[in-house]
Amino acid sequence: MKHRNRWMLLGLVPFVVMVLAFQLAPIASMLAGSVRGPGGSGITFGHYVKIFESAYYLKAIKNSLLISFYSSLIGIVVGLACAYSITRFTPKIRDRLLMLSNMTANFAGVPLAFAYIILLGNNGIFTLLFKEWGWDVFAGFNLYSWTGLVLVYVYFQVPLALLLLYPSFYGIRDQWKEAAMLLGARPWQFWRTVGLPMLTPAIFGTLGILFANAMGAYATAYALVGGNYNLLAIRIGSLVAGDVVNQPELGSALAVLLAVSTIVAVILNHWMSKRSQRFTASAASSGQASKPSRAGRAKPWRAVKKEAGA
Amino acid sequence: MSASYLELRGIRKMFGDSTVLNDVDLTINEGELVTLLGPSGCGKSTLLRCIAGLTEPDGGSIMLGPTNIGELPPRRREVGMVFQSYALFPNLTVYENIEYGLKMRGADKKERQSRCEELLALVDLENKKDAYPQQLSGGQQQRVALARSLAVQPKVLLLDEPLSALDAKIRKSLRTEIRDIQRRLKMTTIFVTHDQEEALTVSDRICIMNNGNIVQNGSPEELYAKPRTEFVARFMGSYNVLSREEAGRLFGVAGGSAASYALRPESVRLLPASAGEARRDRRVADGTIESISVLGNIVRYSVVSSGVKLTVDALNDGQSHRGEEGATVALELDPSQLLALEKEGA
Amino acid sequence: MIKSRAGWSHRALMLLLMVYLLLPLAATLLYGFAKQWQTTVLPESWTLEWFGEMFRDLRFLEALWTSLYLCAISVALSLAVMLPAVFVITVYLPKWETFMKGIVVLPYAVPGVVAAVGLIRAYSGGPIDIAGTAYILIGAYFIVVLPYMYQGIRNSLITVSAVELLHSAELLGASRKRAFATVILPNIWPGVIISTLLSFSVLFGEFVLTNMLVGGHIQTIQVYLYRRVGESGHLASAIAITYFLFILALSTVLMKLGKKMNGVAEK
Repeated sequence: MKHRNRWMLLGLVPFVVMVLAFQLAPIASMLAGSVRGPGGSGITFGHYVKIFESAYYLKAIKNSLLISFYSSLIGIVVGLACAYSITRFTPKIRDRLLMLSNMTANFAGVPLAFAYIILLGNNGIFTLLFKEWGWDVFAGFNLYSWTGLVLVYVYFQVPLALLLLYPSFYGIRDQWKEAAMLLGARPWQFWRTVGLPMLTPAIFGTLGILFANAMGAYATAYALVGGNYNLLAIRIGSLVAGDVVNQPELGSALAVLLAVSTIVAVILNHWMSKRSQRFTASAASSGQASKPSRAGRAKPWRAVKKEAGA
Repeated sequence: MSASYLELRGIRKMFGDSTVLNDVDLTINEGELVTLLGPSGCGKSTLLRCIAGLTEPDGGSIMLGPTNIGELPPRRREVGMVFQSYALFPNLTVYENIEYGLKMRGADKKERQSRCEELLALVDLENKKDAYPQQLSGGQQQRVALARSLAVQPKVLLLDEPLSALDAKIRKSLRTEIRDIQRRLKMTTIFVTHDQEEALTVSDRICIMNNGNIVQNGSPEELYAKPRTEFVARFMGSYNVLSREEAGRLFGVAGGSAASYALRPESVRLLPASAGEARRDRRVADGTIESISVLGNIVRYSVVSSGVKLTVDALNDGQSHRGEEGATVALELDPSQLLALEKEGA
Repeated sequence: MIKSRAGWSHRALMLLLMVYLLLPLAATLLYGFAKQWQTTVLPESWTLEWFGEMFRDLRFLEALWTSLYLCAISVALSLAVMLPAVFVITVYLPKWETFMKGIVVLPYAVPGVVAAVGLIRAYSGGPIDIAGTAYILIGAYFIVVLPYMYQGIRNSLITVSAVELLHSAELLGASRKRAFATVILPNIWPGVIISTLLSFSVLFGEFVLTNMLVGGHIQTIQVYLYRRVGESGHLASAIAITYFLFILALSTVLMKLGKKMNGVAEK
């Protein structure tokens, strides 16, 4: 028996080779590169020091953090409202709405940036229309600025938030609402005392995914503002593969910082989904098990398709 | 004490084209425990939800004392409800769950605390007050749900199949516990169940429901002894329901006026085939035992006599005659035990 | 009272959301067909010129072909490597599953830019110098689709309870290899096809790795689109819409397959 199993291990060899070569080795190389001393010898934290002393790179980090934070926050608020709304429809309409959101979630990266240029760019349809109609409220708007970027980021965050959040609304059982009503609670009191606390893990978990998604987003920003806007992902790209002077060590150090931020966000998500599992498990045990299976209909691996990183 | 307290008049509810409640009338006295008993889909849970205000009836009125609560939102009806799935708030502890209604009503902290302690003692869960619902057993969770709905001192307590998610042993002990608490508090209670044994043990009065109607309403003894229709007879126990023609064959008399008759399984006695003469007022018929099953203190025989299949129950006292499967036996039948049944829907 | 029928506020919110989500798509679509479009809500005149030009453009067809075969090779490679690996882990080494999961989730947590930095450092110069070639890209693509392939194959194996199936086949006298080929493979095939198609559509939309690793040498459809955006807006619209329709068709097939599988599982 043992012998036969050992033979089966051969099936793992190609997998191990591929993962070592294209996942672990590059990460190791990047880590090593970020602490490589001048001239290729010794270990130094000089690159990190340089980053934290440079107003330019600090600004890039700050911009990235801010844009990720704001776009995730807006995304989660809009996504939360829409996710609740979507659970109020009949399953047939709900599935259609979800399909449409899922479809637009595919519309990311370069094509998305391009669509926004058509709509709101310097010669965009709306820009020209508004000018024609004399609506100067939008005169100050510039797609290639911070507000423009937030707008586009929010676009790819909303469907993602929606797809990740709506199953957890099915975890809020109607009978909890009914019990609360009979005990004298108004709807908002129910949401404050039971509904939202039950959703909290899902909300923070989704926030983690959205944040990581925005931090790593490259294609959208690159296509929209090119190298002109100071974002962490864009800086890394130009330091490593750009046309300017290549500074791979500095790029590595910046990349390590970016990776740390996204990994922390993903770990947050992992924690939170564990917590919410505890809740849903309890809900499943106290009564019919039909509800959780309905919530499980959303295939997480489909919903969590990384949108902007493409 | 016996004045009608909760009074339902002409409650009607349609779901699409199907009538779920068909002009139901029901009055309940103060302090009474009334059971709505019926198969699933008979409308008993919908009726309960109408009283609570969770489902809006299409017509009819609901009076609670002098108030017409049919117009009020659920939170102002002063009605407590315990759900089959407990519906405890998973993010709150046992104590916080019980406290919830008092908090929503703006009771001050001292009052809340003394009331919660009282209820925790009532359901015997003082040592679990800081636990979360998912850390409790099903029976404990249901006791918390009971305490939670009693905390706000409702005028009527509604129990929607409160025991059906529990296993048999806990179900039996919890139903006595619920009945004790109900008696102690003199709480006007409506108990919904599909289990006739449960209904017989806990109720002051039972309403049997079928197809959106209350088909019979009476004390447990009354319902068990005198089922009015075939549906009730079948639902209340293992009554043998005989057509007029079958009853005639079995008892050797050409039938009465009713369409069907009920015969209680314990009213038939099994005798050895050679038992000889019957007593004067009894009739003896031959039969063959088809199957035997032992249900604890009762042995249930399935016997075929004159082409009629009968269920016969005998006490499992180790003394009375026991045939074997396939054996020929004599049945002692008492014509006075034959109950005439009304037509369905009469 | 609590009826799950959507009130007007829910309808309005959903309408707003759909307008917001579909507006950029609609604009791109219209732009691709527009001849004259300035200062009006809808284009003033229409044309098929841009789509015609796109199909006449050799570089477009070339980029499309490059994308197709690079994605196909990568997905095929992933399938060949992942099928036996996930099978062995799930069936024979369940203890290692947590470890495997950790490895497989990593591509989620590590953004494309970061992966590109590592890959460039590891493979430009040194003993294996494959920077700028298709090899490095295929390797990178393999990692990108790792989570999708793993989840898809593993879920299929679990839904068909592969371990029990395998044991009963062996008890009936089938050899292990035969059991795998005749019992396991046909049963997990639909699920595997879904994850394959999903991986394919993910790779088709990949930009950051492609651009950073091989952007100067190999043009995929995304890189081509990026280059064209600056030149002619209308042409770029036509390309974007064609690309999007392709992805849409792929996801529709995916959903239909998924529904069909769920239907089978329910029976």
